Amino acid sequence: MPTKTINQGGTYRTMLVAAGNTQGLPALSEDCGLEMLQGTGLGVSLEIRENASAEILALIFPGADCSLDFNIELTGPGASCNLYGLYLCPEAEKVSVRADMHHKVHHCHSHQLFKGIISGTARSGFTGKIVVSPDAQVTEAYQENHNLLLSDTAVADTSPQLEIYADDVKCSHGATIGRLDEDEQFYMRSRGIPESEARALQMLSFISPVLDIVRNAEDRELLADYIGNIIRTRF
Amino acid sequence: MDNDILLKIEGLRACVDDKEILKGIDLTVRCGETHVVMGPNGAGKSTLSSVLAGKPKYTVTEGKITFMGRDLLAMTPEERSWAGIFLSFQYPVEIPGVSITNFMKTAVNSRRKAAGEDPLSAAEFLKLMREKMALVQMKPEFAKREVNVGFSGGEKKRNEIFQMAMLDPVLSILDETDSGLDVDALRIVAEGVNTLKTPQKATIVITHYQRLLDYIVPDIVHVLKDGRIVRTAGRELVDQIEEHGYDSIA
Repeated sequence: MPTKTINQGGTYRTMLVAAGNTQGLPALSEDCGLEMLQGTGLGVSLEIRENASAEILALIFPGADCSLDFNIELTGPGASCNLYGLYLCPEAEKVSVRADMHHKVHHCHSHQLFKGIISGTARSGFTGKIVVSPDAQVTEAYQENHNLLLSDTAVADTSPQLEIYADDVKCSHGATIGRLDEDEQFYMRSRGIPESEARALQMLSFISPVLDIVRNAEDRELLADYIGNIIRTRF
Repeated sequence: MDNDILLKIEGLRACVDDKEILKGIDLTVRCGETHVVMGPNGAGKSTLSSVLAGKPKYTVTEGKITFMGRDLLAMTPEERSWAGIFLSFQYPVEIPGVSITNFMKTAVNSRRKAAGEDPLSAAEFLKLMREKMALVQMKPEFAKREVNVGFSGGEKKRNEIFQMAMLDPVLSILDETDSGLDVDALRIVAEGVNTLKTPQKATIVITHYQRLLDYIVPDIVHVLKDGRIVRTAGRELVDQIEEHGYDSIA
């Protein structure tokens, strides 16, 4: 895959729609930098240079059968990358996401946040890797992958990996696979919210941190509504 | 008079994870009454409130509960809410990413839908929100906050009473609403509860301490111990417990 370079001081912001059914996807503002990817083996390769930043939101919608690989290198001091993603797999999807975040020099910052909702007989896999090179002091790198598993026949794999060769580093990773919280559901139902809507609100609550990366409030609302509709009709 | 009766609990036994917590409860609540259920830790007070609201984790093994002539145990938690039951949680749940406005709009309009009514217009809903927020002295920005996220103990309980005011229940159950409240918050919460009181409604206050009862005056006091109501009397029972403790009541 060709590598895209974000030059010194530059910013790159994009929303990647990787796969799946995108019928009715709302028109968003230019801020979002929407890119539609085609195919099943997808790759994004980025080099982020000094004081440059990248903000990426990757969306995988129902019906997908794909792998999506990120290969990101932070090569100049002050480079930063926020890589967020969401995969919605209600039926028989097969989705695999791989994210390599390589901190090659000092004073760089990265944050990966991927969330998935998996049901039916769908399978999802997430492999996230943070590599901090020996010279990359004063690194901050975070990685989170959280999955909601809604059926007994769905499968979610998650595999966080850290390779740290420098000492002055703040790094963390967290991975969870869980179900909808019953206490939360009971709380909502006790206020008269029907079970199906309570579940939908729980799922929206679960994914909402991923949408925080969308800066334009109107876009964020449009996307949340679109995803809310998928949640209500497909899960 | 029997058509005064809102809630009738008869021979109620309930367990959680195969452990029996409630061991035969009888309790009748009439319109206009305020009941207090007191008792030491582990007596089953919170189980009783959870069973009334229909928490799935609890299994009723014996007995029945009739609410306004209907079989309460056959109803889902949301149906109980629509019928007019409200439980103020001891530990209100945080729901990140869902605003109070959105949450309450969903709750209020779900009930209206169940009753065959149209949803409230945006303007009507906003007016109702403002009115009820004022009742528990919530500032306007409260409406935009995520449900209970980052709330202090006092704010969480005020939020419960706010929601109670929005839903206008017939029977309010306050589960340890006084725990974790400072004096000011306690007063605000109690004033909210007292303002909402009418002769057609009833309240069950569940508490470990008598603190809240300085503000919300009960008509009938029950002492719950080891899953049974061991004493029922007037408000004077509160003073006896305060002075001599639960051990003085057999």
